[in-house]
Amino acid sequence: MSDTELRLERLIPAPPQRVFALWSEPEQLVKWWGPEGADIPAHAIDPHPGGSWRTTMRTADGKHHTVSGVYRAIEPPRRLVFTWAWENEHGARGHETEVTVTFMSAPGGTRLVLVQKEFESKESRDRHSHGWGSSFNRLVRLAG
Amino acid sequence: MTAPRRPALETVFSALGDPTRRAIVERLLARGELSVGDIAAPFAISMPAVSRHLRVLEDAGLIERRVERQWRLIRARPEALAPVEAWVTKQRAHWNAALDRLEAVVAAETPKRRKS
Repeated sequence: MSDTELRLERLIPAPPQRVFALWSEPEQLVKWWGPEGADIPAHAIDPHPGGSWRTTMRTADGKHHTVSGVYRAIEPPRRLVFTWAWENEHGARGHETEVTVTFMSAPGGTRLVLVQKEFESKESRDRHSHGWGSSFNRLVRLAG
Repeated sequence: MTAPRRPALETVFSALGDPTRRAIVERLLARGELSVGDIAAPFAISMPAVSRHLRVLEDAGLIERRVERQWRLIRARPEALAPVEAWVTKQRAHWNAALDRLEAVVAAETPKRRKS
């Protein structure tokens, strides 16, 4: 059920072990991380629980965009949880969210589910770990 | 009268991160303008607590107040949700593009094999 704001699902045509490696091994991650036409000129990724990660993407227009966070859970080949925040040009991190990616074996490969939660802090997230997104969706509908 | 402001996304998310405040905004969006008393009625919390919630929502630009004779009236400002929607749209686009690339990487390394 949609109790979160952003949820994406994909079938990736490779086994979970392989897909998990593409997410959790730095040299694999930078092969695909970032939007179309972007590359990753700089990254520092420590894929361990509590380890931090930081990637700088260079988009097709030549602009640099840095995003960083901390790994909260690394459970090969099933689940990956990390925090996420864009940095401004002075290195200050903006609004932090939490991303959970799960990898399930499925016919044809791996069913990948990505959920990004938009809580502004860990405390807030812990207090409101359910129901945020559906309320938010209702809000947006009402506002529309 | 204060000039229209663009509160930071953090401020809007933070204001909406509380279930009571979300309920207040939902109710205002559904019902239009309400008095402070009408807003407080469905909640089992004190008036000072309601006032604190209203101040947070006002700081986030999500509501605005006006006084008409003895009435203190409050209404929602749905336009304050626009940056939140834009943020969601941007995140979705980011992940969709990244997952497209992930698929491409997997496809490139998978030996060509006829599907049964």
